[in-house]
Amino acid sequence: MTDTLPTLSAGRRARREGFWPTLIRRFLKHKLAVTGLIMLTLLALLALFAPLLTPYTFDGQDLSIIGQPQPPSAAHWMGTDQLGRDAFTRVLYGARISLMVGLFSALLATSLGTLIGALSGYYRGWIDTTLMRLTDVVLCIPLLPLIILLSGILRPSVTLLICIIGGLSWMGTARLVRGQFLTLREREFVEASRALGGRDNRVMFRHILPNAIGPIIVSTTLSVGGAIMLESALSFLGLGVQPPTPTWGNLLNYASQWLTAAPWLALFPGLMILLTVLSVNFLGDGLRDAFDPRN
Amino acid sequence: MGNQKQFGYSVRQKSARLAFATFILLGGMSLAQQRGGTLTVGLSYDIDTLNVYSTGYLGDVQATVAEGLLAPNEKAKYVPVLATTVPTIKNGGIKVAADNKSMVITYKLRPNVKWSDGQPFTSADVKFTWDAVKDPKFIAESKDGTEDIASIDTPNPLTVVVNYKRVAPDFASTLFTFGILPKHTLEGKDLNTDNYNQMPLGTGPFKVTQYVKGQYVVLERNPYYWRKDKAGVQLPYLDKMIFKIIPDSNTLVTQLKSGEIQMATSVPYSQVPQLASQSGLSIVKNPVLSWQHLDFNLKGPAAFRDVNVRKAFAYALDKSTVSKALGGYPVPINTVVVPVFSYSNKNVPKYPYDLAKAKQLLDAAGYKPGADGIRVKDGVRMSYNIMVQAGRSTDEDAEQVIIAQMKALGVELKPDNKSGVAFRDARYKGGYDLFYSGWITSADPSYSVFFGSKGPNNGQGYSNPKIDALLATADSTLDPTVRTKALRDFQTLLMQDLPSIPVATNPSIIVVTDKLGGFVSNPTNMTNFVNTSGWYLKK
Amino acid sequence: MSLTYVFKRLLGMLPLLLGVSLILFGVLHLAPGGPLDVYADNPSVTQEALEQMKRAFGLDQPIPVQYVKWVGAFVQGEWGFSIRTAQPVVEEVLARLPATLMLGGSAFVLALIIAVPLGVLSATRRYSGVDYLITLLSFLGISTPVFWLALMLQLLFSVQWRVLPSAGMQTIGDGSFLDVLRHMLLPTFILAFASVAGWSRYMRASMVEVLNQDYVRTARAKGVSNRRVTYAHAFRNALIPVVTVVALDFASIISGAVITETIFAWPGVGRLFIDSMNGRDYPVLMALLMVGSFALILSNLLADLAYSLIDPRIRYD
Repeated sequence: MTDTLPTLSAGRRARREGFWPTLIRRFLKHKLAVTGLIMLTLLALLALFAPLLTPYTFDGQDLSIIGQPQPPSAAHWMGTDQLGRDAFTRVLYGARISLMVGLFSALLATSLGTLIGALSGYYRGWIDTTLMRLTDVVLCIPLLPLIILLSGILRPSVTLLICIIGGLSWMGTARLVRGQFLTLREREFVEASRALGGRDNRVMFRHILPNAIGPIIVSTTLSVGGAIMLESALSFLGLGVQPPTPTWGNLLNYASQWLTAAPWLALFPGLMILLTVLSVNFLGDGLRDAFDPRN
Repeated sequence: MGNQKQFGYSVRQKSARLAFATFILLGGMSLAQQRGGTLTVGLSYDIDTLNVYSTGYLGDVQATVAEGLLAPNEKAKYVPVLATTVPTIKNGGIKVAADNKSMVITYKLRPNVKWSDGQPFTSADVKFTWDAVKDPKFIAESKDGTEDIASIDTPNPLTVVVNYKRVAPDFASTLFTFGILPKHTLEGKDLNTDNYNQMPLGTGPFKVTQYVKGQYVVLERNPYYWRKDKAGVQLPYLDKMIFKIIPDSNTLVTQLKSGEIQMATSVPYSQVPQLASQSGLSIVKNPVLSWQHLDFNLKGPAAFRDVNVRKAFAYALDKSTVSKALGGYPVPINTVVVPVFSYSNKNVPKYPYDLAKAKQLLDAAGYKPGADGIRVKDGVRMSYNIMVQAGRSTDEDAEQVIIAQMKALGVELKPDNKSGVAFRDARYKGGYDLFYSGWITSADPSYSVFFGSKGPNNGQGYSNPKIDALLATADSTLDPTVRTKALRDFQTLLMQDLPSIPVATNPSIIVVTDKLGGFVSNPTNMTNFVNTSGWYLKK
Repeated sequence: MSLTYVFKRLLGMLPLLLGVSLILFGVLHLAPGGPLDVYADNPSVTQEALEQMKRAFGLDQPIPVQYVKWVGAFVQGEWGFSIRTAQPVVEEVLARLPATLMLGGSAFVLALIIAVPLGVLSATRRYSGVDYLITLLSFLGISTPVFWLALMLQLLFSVQWRVLPSAGMQTIGDGSFLDVLRHMLLPTFILAFASVAGWSRYMRASMVEVLNQDYVRTARAKGVSNRRVTYAHAFRNALIPVVTVVALDFASIISGAVITETIFAWPGVGRLFIDSMNGRDYPVLMALLMVGSFALILSNLLADLAYSLIDPRIRYD
């Protein structure tokens, strides 16, 4: 579908207005996307400054109320869980891990995908054949079961979780980047830089890649949301990050057993996942429109 | 999540999980027993096989089908089932050899008992069970007891003479109480793959009529069942029992609330409050024969080989807070033998919560707080892994309380929870630094499997020749006085050594419809379902 | 499209499946802990018995040899025995597959029935209130954790209102069509939910694109009614890219059923997968993943075929 795979016209750079200012101007017109960006920035700031925003620690237990979750109050804005821990604090710290998992696994997937796609599209020939057959094969393995399997066997730490999710979701990007490279490598400016003796990696990453950056950014953005959802699904199966380290996913999973007795425990992490993934999708949508030359 | 029971509590000595017997019939509820009705039970794990000897779970369904010669009752005392009496030295059922090195047990079998296909049950079936289970080709979860037996004689269809190679006071925990296999359908068959594993044949009150994998097992009345109530009515009262497989514990509770199931036997504590308010359901606290323990891996971090470090951990662990965090259900304990047993020792060395003392002990042992608050000795931080069974929410909650309490002591614990085979593997081989879990035992447990140097459940690498000697005494005498003394001394010594901190005994929570009459819970590693024959539904 | 083409494509599946099996086999067998670890610590299983089992399962051979043997046996339909239940793997899988196909299939159809009209409506009323509402809803759909929604609906429909069963596939002893249908409603809806959101977005985008095409404008200019333009001309063309996406998603709906099946105690392959994973039941895991890959490749092929059926401009030979 062309709508999701925009191509950049090489002529854009010739226009009077620069590439980035145009992009920003277009992006700012997309109200939902701007809202998404603001939301995400806010969330990231909250996560970053979590220790300053709450007097509690994420694993600190209030022994006077241990045993029964307490509803939201002035002291505990989102209530407390069964172990007397402040739910607000846990949601804040959970944001750190969840956003980190989302962001880093998306970045990992994109880097891998870009590298493989670039090599494939630039060199063609047997490199392309090998890498693309590999991509085809990996694409033929059902992703969710494989990720569940790996998490189940390896019981991942946060880092390992990022590697598993990121390491298995690069295929889309690889194909996309390869397509871009196949088209772009024939353009005059690439020919020119090669003629001037530019080394391969320089041509690839300095000259071609910036021209393919639009769709890459869009797909990275969207996969941040996907990774956050995946983490919560793994947590539901008990295969995600282990408590007491909070993530939105394991907070939600923990809360599910208190659904009727302490519904507030499920409400906030659920809302956070919803808001974040929503913002990410808005942002991705806006970026897509902004990069799309036909708009 | 599901798998609440799998591996967590399965002990090698599954042989002893047996029914409580005729007791419930005498319980003075002569009024409203009525025949008929269907009881639907929620099962929190997916059944692997319906063969009692090869399942990796506790075998709830199996208990309604297979019967043994003896069974533990609700007070963890053995009562006769397919045998007519519990053999003792006094009644002549047990004869110990003059050299005290072997014994002979004679069982008199109950006459006129039939398998649910109408064939008679005889002493040949008992002998066949031993032959089949000890066969090396048969891959069983538990073969305990098979090696203790030298030979079996069957002088007549109702007499079984078992010749033991040693004096085995725990004989009742072994295979004949566990379940008898039918010779007439299984002889010459491969028990690993036989259809018995899907459609077991037993002498119990119910027989399997339908087993749909991953969904449910339907059991119907065994028309040949031998037991009758006082009024002479043939048991069981219930027409049918259905076990529904519901792996997600939230869904299990939802089904209890919506009335789609009428009973569940291991409801997580956190789910109990919301069920308490539900009309039509009763909540039964079943004080199971289990204890929760925090084990040190003595083959692991060097610090754990210092008894003062272990004691410091014990003083820093506030058992009552752990209990409180779990809704107040767990009962704190000071020894590994649960209070139900007469030989439980109340005078063992105790370690009441005392953080200051704990800190002193670590200071004295040379572990001084570092910049981050975590203690260090010779450049090694006191930072360890702690393992519980992933998915067991009660253990995961307790783990987090322990982590917080050890942090106060200046010890960092990092959760490394595992599930399924990985969990079992780590548990039995010591793939952990610290390990928090529970063991559930038979009515007549042998503690050498847990704390003997060569005990199969001793994954932590604990070894003390004095303990071995005491347990060997306990495991080879039929004299209650000698046994009690040995087991009490064992507890005292164990608590001095402290390889494992006993934390609490966790009752299991059974949620059951008010309409079910005749139900009595069972505390042993046998399930609550053995003698279901006296259960009835009130109209 | 010719038969030769279909045949060629089918043939092309073989190297893919071989590659997939190689990767999966590697992942499973290089992971720490083997299937016989279940027994390794069990004193009742003698060393002799272990060796015998190793031979029986072929685990005493080097991994490459095991792989070649496995491929040979797998192709002949001999998928081995489940380590967990000792039953033939084929039986285990076949016993669970219908439930999953039924659930996945109905979720697929349901998602399609909802998503396509929503997308068209959204596209034809672009920038209207309806469009914004649908867009917002589908974004919410993409962003809601499925298991959370499922638990909420269970509480509402089964506990609060008591109109639908909360879990299972049938009332035991009933199992009539209507009964199964009632059991299917919630899980089907949940499984369809995420797809509806995505697909309606695709449908909208595709429709918008087509409506902007010259030939549609021409048709309009010629005085063809709006309705006719939309449904006779634009709709058919807009479906083409959507078909590809949708067909590809079928396999992921099936594999995504793991969570839905757990919550609703649905006796499908997803549950079998989780149980086998906990028991390190490699033969079953391998078979399930291969079946999943096969479904994925097949749906790829079907997508291409459907593409050429709908779009007269595309011809394969």
